[in-house]
Amino acid sequence: MGKTMIMKIMERAAHKEVHVGERVWCDIDWSTARDFGGANCTLQFDEITEKQGRVWDSDKIAFTFDLQAPSHSEKVSNNQKIIREFAKRQGIKHVFDINHGIGQHVLLENGLVKPGDVILGTDSHMNLLGGVAAFATGVGNTDIAASWLSGTNWFRVPETMKIEATGEFQCGVSMRDFLTRLVGDLGAGGLDFLAVEFAGDAIERSTLAERITLCSMVTEMSGKIGLILPNGPVLEWLAGRAGPEVRSRVASIAPDADAPYIETRKYDVSKLEPLASCPDAPDNVKTVREIAGTPVDQVHIGSCSNGRFEDIAAAFAVLEKSGFKVSPSVRTIITPATNEVMRRCASEGLIEKFLDAGIVFTNPTCALCTAEHYGALPGGDVGCSTTNRNFIGKVGKGSHTYLLSPMTAMATAVKGVITDPRDIIC
Amino acid sequence: MKIKGRVWKYGDDVNTDVIFAGKYTYTIKDRAEMAKYALEDLDADFTKNAHAGDIIVAGKNWGCGSSREQAAICLKERGIGAIIARSFARIHYRNCLNEGLPIIISSEIQALVEKGDEVEIDFDAGEITAGGKKIKFPPYPEFVQGLVNDGGLLPHVKKSLGLA
Repeated sequence: MGKTMIMKIMERAAHKEVHVGERVWCDIDWSTARDFGGANCTLQFDEITEKQGRVWDSDKIAFTFDLQAPSHSEKVSNNQKIIREFAKRQGIKHVFDINHGIGQHVLLENGLVKPGDVILGTDSHMNLLGGVAAFATGVGNTDIAASWLSGTNWFRVPETMKIEATGEFQCGVSMRDFLTRLVGDLGAGGLDFLAVEFAGDAIERSTLAERITLCSMVTEMSGKIGLILPNGPVLEWLAGRAGPEVRSRVASIAPDADAPYIETRKYDVSKLEPLASCPDAPDNVKTVREIAGTPVDQVHIGSCSNGRFEDIAAAFAVLEKSGFKVSPSVRTIITPATNEVMRRCASEGLIEKFLDAGIVFTNPTCALCTAEHYGALPGGDVGCSTTNRNFIGKVGKGSHTYLLSPMTAMATAVKGVITDPRDIIC
Repeated sequence: MKIKGRVWKYGDDVNTDVIFAGKYTYTIKDRAEMAKYALEDLDADFTKNAHAGDIIVAGKNWGCGSSREQAAICLKERGIGAIIARSFARIHYRNCLNEGLPIIISSEIQALVEKGDEVEIDFDAGEITAGGKKIKFPPYPEFVQGLVNDGGLLPHVKKSLGLA
């Protein structure tokens, strides 16, 4: 019997043969924390080592300040200071402060992530790095603190589901819609404890941004990791950033032809139409046509799931077709994933047009995924967002959120009511 | 070990945002303080009236969503004796283990109990007594039980590194 991608990744990290269902200790390539949860990790580490402890490898730890960037309160500022001081004391140089963006994206752009890496972080969407075939997972502060001591942690070797996507998206439909279809079909717990391999010609042709969208939302089905083997332009980009070792890593973790899958699901993406996750759960899926006309108060485009340049450019195209005007009754906010994305939006002239249209274009941050930063919704408001969760109360007590693709979100911003983007651009 | 407690009953896919709201994660670092806000966005009655020793009975995928360990800490500090669910979301499963909060996988108890019922759990026998019936539940996997026996992940790691 052959091996799946996650089995090969864990064998590299565990230095031994692994079997599905067993629990193994893996060497950690990166153990990261962000401002959300990071202070708890450092305080816990100091507590268990009575402030005398040294981290196992200061070059394999990174801090990213993304959730509250820049800080909005004294309490948050003090939390961030705790992290900065810990990093200084421990000689940790990979500190990506408030001027960088969303952590996983920043690690990726800085060439720090290779296929096959095992990565921990205090963000449940760490697993978007599966978009370049790294095994990255969110964990709590104890798992982080323990890994800082030993450089290892334990994992169950998961079963793998294979999802094959073929065909081309029709006008107005995107990878986000495919993902929403999957969340609707599999449900919130549909991938609990499982790994997923995405394959098929629609995946092989996909951009890095699309792969990130797909893999980030595996979390919303409680999956362990979604993996896509880098190929084509994505492989070239990654090798350019992270070095030539990327190519041998890809070869070493490619799944065997006779790898065991618990299930193979097949989708023809050309049959999809724009979809939405309706309040108050990602798996409450309807077609945009079914909910079209619903009035909204705020539209947000961004997040670790849909905050890449390609996502913002897709929204821009809808705005362009609409004469660069959004509805005055809607507050529209765009948040790029990273500084690099923001710079490209600036150099290609997108930001000026967004500002002309009356849109708020913010610095790169995760902020709009929480009620504790700018963009929070008041009770009774309806929001539309390209973020990954619409749990009740998440961005404001008593508010409700629809999760949409960047194209659908912008079409909605333009019309002031939920709108199928095909009505504007196709 | 045996515990006895009153049931708080919930459905499927309860997420960690409603167990411990994100807005408190930046500002509350005191563990006892966290307990005061447990389940605030899910069940105000629990937040006000849950007592030490109470037991949570839930459906599938308990603790999905955010990786915040506070969702386990607030229940542990509240004194919750155990969580019994059809299944647990994997990150929260780890966090509960790491906090020493007993978790039990069972698909039978949900039909037998309602909110406020008294339930007894015998961890050594792997048995829950509810509504006059006895239900068996599986022990932790051997690997996980090894960590629990060492006092949890951190004590285990310290021991293996010769630090404890």
